[in-house]
Amino acid sequence: MATDPFEAIKATYFLECEELLADLERHVMALESGDADSDTLHAAFRAVHSIKGGAGAFGLEDLVRFAHVFETFMDELRSGRKPCSEQAVRVMLAASDVLADHVAAARGSNAALDHARVAHVVADLEALTAGTAPSAPGALAAAAPEPDGPAPDEFGFTPVAFDFGLGDAPAEPQGWRIHFKPHPRLLETGNDPALILRELARLGPCDVTLDDRDLPGVDVLEDGAFHLAWDIVLNAAPPETAVREVFEFVDGFCDLVIAPLGAEAEAEPVAALIEAPSDPVFATAPIQMEAASAPAPARAAEPAASAKPAAGGGGGGGTAGAAPSQTSIRVDLDRIDKLINVVGELVIQQAMLAQSVVESGLARSSAVSVGLEDLEQLTREIQESVMAIRAQPVKAVFQRMPRLVREVAELTGKSVRLVTEGEGTEVDKTVIDRLAEPITHMIRNAIDHGLEDPDARRRAGKDPEGVIRLAALHRSGRIVIEVSDDGRGINRDRVRAIAVERGLIAADAPLTNEEIDNLIFLPGFSTASTVSDISGRGVGMDVVKRSIQQLGGRISIASTPGKGSTFTMSLPLTLAVLDGMVVEAGGQTLLAPLSAVVESFTPKAADLHRIGPTETLIRFRDRFLPLIDTAAALGFPAAPMQQSGARGIAIVVESEGGMQAALRVDGIHGQRQVVIKSLETNYTKVDGVSAATILGDGRVALILDVDALLSLGKRAGTPADLRLAS
Amino acid sequence: MPAASAIKVLVVDDQLSMRALVKTSLQQMGIRDIREAADGEAGLHELLAKPAHLVISDYNMPKQDGLSFLRAVRANPATAKTAFVMLTGRADKELVTRAVQYGVNNYVVKPFNVQQLREKLEAVFGKLT
Repeated sequence: MATDPFEAIKATYFLECEELLADLERHVMALESGDADSDTLHAAFRAVHSIKGGAGAFGLEDLVRFAHVFETFMDELRSGRKPCSEQAVRVMLAASDVLADHVAAARGSNAALDHARVAHVVADLEALTAGTAPSAPGALAAAAPEPDGPAPDEFGFTPVAFDFGLGDAPAEPQGWRIHFKPHPRLLETGNDPALILRELARLGPCDVTLDDRDLPGVDVLEDGAFHLAWDIVLNAAPPETAVREVFEFVDGFCDLVIAPLGAEAEAEPVAALIEAPSDPVFATAPIQMEAASAPAPARAAEPAASAKPAAGGGGGGGTAGAAPSQTSIRVDLDRIDKLINVVGELVIQQAMLAQSVVESGLARSSAVSVGLEDLEQLTREIQESVMAIRAQPVKAVFQRMPRLVREVAELTGKSVRLVTEGEGTEVDKTVIDRLAEPITHMIRNAIDHGLEDPDARRRAGKDPEGVIRLAALHRSGRIVIEVSDDGRGINRDRVRAIAVERGLIAADAPLTNEEIDNLIFLPGFSTASTVSDISGRGVGMDVVKRSIQQLGGRISIASTPGKGSTFTMSLPLTLAVLDGMVVEAGGQTLLAPLSAVVESFTPKAADLHRIGPTETLIRFRDRFLPLIDTAAALGFPAAPMQQSGARGIAIVVESEGGMQAALRVDGIHGQRQVVIKSLETNYTKVDGVSAATILGDGRVALILDVDALLSLGKRAGTPADLRLAS
Repeated sequence: MPAASAIKVLVVDDQLSMRALVKTSLQQMGIRDIREAADGEAGLHELLAKPAHLVISDYNMPKQDGLSFLRAVRANPATAKTAFVMLTGRADKELVTRAVQYGVNNYVVKPFNVQQLREKLEAVFGKLT
């Protein structure tokens, strides 16, 4: 084998670690906020324990050592030997962070372990553990990352031999297994099974299982018949005669099988006992083994999880019972993406077929048209289901933030509380993966620049503890993420001064408050006089903005001096499909994202008002909106339009920032869901265009980037009215 | 002296990586028929659907721990005679004592290597060939 199988397993282990660390953090946070129940500590313990277990297997000794100290402390807590105090929770939070660092270090991340911090947390854990734990040093030694566990005899344990008919192992009964099925006669003679079971229990602890397999439905239940049986495991080893004695009085009035518990060499009584629908292992084992040994290589190649019934054997009952109770599976992301791509092609193909049918002039009621409609419905359902596979709750990202807030708060000496909302909001996995960085950066910024220190807050009459709110919600087919703080708000004078100093704006530029706030998104803008350790890291808000834009999203800011700021990101739920309005402009078919379209109408000449040489306003309801010539803004030749003398249609669109404008187009061809094909990947970035798609007739249509178009239109200053009102 | 290739094993652990690790170790011993389950409930289902000679189960699992699973296996006549080896992360005497009460055949403390696992299994089955 070319690659070490253990390396692949190790990769899986690290993935699991991410989940386990997230679980751990969630549980410890629950302890902190008082939302914990009795299982929370156990669950937190399990997470650490699982991380340790795997770490041991892969020889990650530092990780094992730390996890062990942490686990030992939590064992004290969960056993109640040590109270789960506020201090204990605080130490657990710190230990969770350090554990995450250890995992990252073991994974080979370049972030070095902060050894001073590790030592500090270890000392805290050990100090808290020590007080009431006389067994702690022993336990430490026992589970230290040595290659071997304790020898079996340390606990006086003797392995229990097991013989399945091929070997020769002695059996030492640990107890008895009894199958007891009373006949009706037993009851008729005045005996009571309950009394017999009670009698049996006097010999030792019993596990009794009722076997009601033969119990018929109530409607066919016969008077005087008896259908119940019991399987009893007697966890004690009295002589067999003592067990038989219990049943002495009902001898002959019941089916009775008594077999020693544990390693049963004599298969006979057991085989008689087991008449479950599935094949008893002992009865079929030799046959299956012969079969299994011949095609061994072929079987080895199969995924082991497949539970195929043994060749030639096994009735239907066996497979029916095999229904796995697993509720989730891991699938390689590549496979899902491939599926999504194919479904995308299916959607396009379906649309093309639909168009051909329309063009062929078939009646809407024809079998083909009706069938096609059903197909469309199904296609859409498949598409939605496939998209849902990739959707994940934003929780995955939000979960990482409490730690960030703690760390940044500690570094800045501020007191911060993080409030999260809408963690269950789902969005495409790619979006989630790429959200972590911008959110991290915005939260750092909010704490570092937005929030005041506790003294300043007190002076301003605020709660000394600042609040950072991180919220996610769905709004009109997009996901909106808000990061807000209740800090001092944007210092506009300062922002403006810096922008002027950096030559980003003219000293006398007339800017609205909103425009000033948005200056922070300009490349090269940084309000910190020294690049601070926290929010600096060489990344400015312009990078945040760009990464959001790359996801097809927008970011905006709203700030109130003294009250705080809110950053709002709006992102598409998926990067794969889009509902759009098919329009025509400059002889080209274009697509306007439906989420941006407000209304469309045919304007009259009286609705148009020229402002200066280039700008035009259009009256819409009781307002005037800028009118942008789509074709001109995109640089299409305008000639064909003027020749045809078409009057055109205005589409009212709204940008992310809430600004409205009207786009002038030549015609509307309806609405359609399209599969987004990246233009950047396949061609190059085009201003005013966000992506492309393939239409039903096979033509490529560009998808309009409304926000970019509005600023393009403004800059180009096209006299759109000339043609519209011609 | 049972042939390793004849032994049917069910590996039960909530962690995929641990299942894979046990499975790879078993394969290195020549064991071919290995199935997996992520928890005790699924494990019991598997056993009822198709018997195995040996269950190797983790103790530390969220829904049902290894001890409860062991009890469930022992309590069902159709699965009671399956050999049961428990994996534990801690050398805990109380745990081992209870596992013995419930009829465990052997236990393995993590971390383990292939040779150690082999020895633990051979203590149950006799020398594997």
